[in-house]
Amino acid sequence: MEGATWIIHKYVMHGFLWVLHKDHHDHSNEGVLEKNDYFFVLFAIPTIALMYFGSLKDFNYLFYIGLGIMLYGMVYFFVHDIFIHQRIKFLTKAKSPYFLALRRAHKQHHKHIGKEDGECFGFLFVPFSYFKMYFNSAKK
Amino acid sequence: MMAYAYSLILLFTIIICFIASFDKRILFNHHFGAFVKSAILVAVPFIAWDVWFTATGVWWFNTDYTLGIVLAGLPLEEWLFFICIPFSCVFTYFCFDKFFKLDWLLGFNNIIVFVSVIICSVIALLHDDKIYTLVTAIVTITTLIYLHFIARADWIGKASLVFTILMLGFIPVNGVLTGTGLETPIVNYNPEGFLGIRILTIPIEDAVYGYTQFLLVLYFFKRFKHTRDENER
Repeated sequence: MEGATWIIHKYVMHGFLWVLHKDHHDHSNEGVLEKNDYFFVLFAIPTIALMYFGSLKDFNYLFYIGLGIMLYGMVYFFVHDIFIHQRIKFLTKAKSPYFLALRRAHKQHHKHIGKEDGECFGFLFVPFSYFKMYFNSAKK
Repeated sequence: MMAYAYSLILLFTIIICFIASFDKRILFNHHFGAFVKSAILVAVPFIAWDVWFTATGVWWFNTDYTLGIVLAGLPLEEWLFFICIPFSCVFTYFCFDKFFKLDWLLGFNNIIVFVSVIICSVIALLHDDKIYTLVTAIVTITTLIYLHFIARADWIGKASLVFTILMLGFIPVNGVLTGTGLETPIVNYNPEGFLGIRILTIPIEDAVYGYTQFLLVLYFFKRFKHTRDENER
């Protein structure tokens, strides 16, 4: 899932569907709906389809792929909304180098407003340099 | 005595909340107007839905437990249900919101909407032959998408927590209505119309239905209350 996220984020969201993801980076949306929200629907529909067709086939592997995407989605929102964006004042003092690296890398990704010059497209796994940054200082 | 069953349930549901509304630490009575407007607004489609389902036999009422006044197929008590139940729910939300700092719950809005939309959609697709299940799922999906993406309600997480707490009242009230502790239920369900999963005697659809009704009444309540607060300034 993490690999799929990286590929979708780098080549789809920052690729041919940049038009939808753009306002998540530059906050240029004017209406009530941020275009980036359409990705919610875009991810939910295959999940629903997989779970539905999987259930019809006696809960075969398709259902579990769908379930996996849903669980990843939950982890995504949990980490993104609650930890990275600090919507809940919980774990604010976390010292875990892993979490600090995630937060730092996510920030780095948002530094870039344009489509092309991005970095750190992963989510739960970020470039080693970020881990090193925090794991090394944790040792000191 | 039996004829008073349904009306007594409604009375017990609201009486404590109604009296407490006048407490000077709460003063929910200042918002009765906003509440009544929002409850009626939501009651219109929900009563239409109720009339439709009663007429087609998805559910029906045992009039032995009611006073005997029937309008459009629904006992008078069932009409009042759409004022009394939301009253206690909105009152509870109002108090929790007033006395506790619950704004941090907005961190869960995305998860709640994402998971609910997926689960309701899969259930609706798998059980499109069960009318109560299907309609409840569609109404819930539509409501959540509207509130989250269009109305940008930041209180879905808060409302969901309050609704979970409200289960303490929902289970006894709906339990008795659907037959817990009674010889025969007050509200009876056609087994072909729903999943058949019950909490005590309460069909699971009732809980989802209650959740959506609560979200909608709350949405309008907040809007009307906001207008009133603005006008007072």
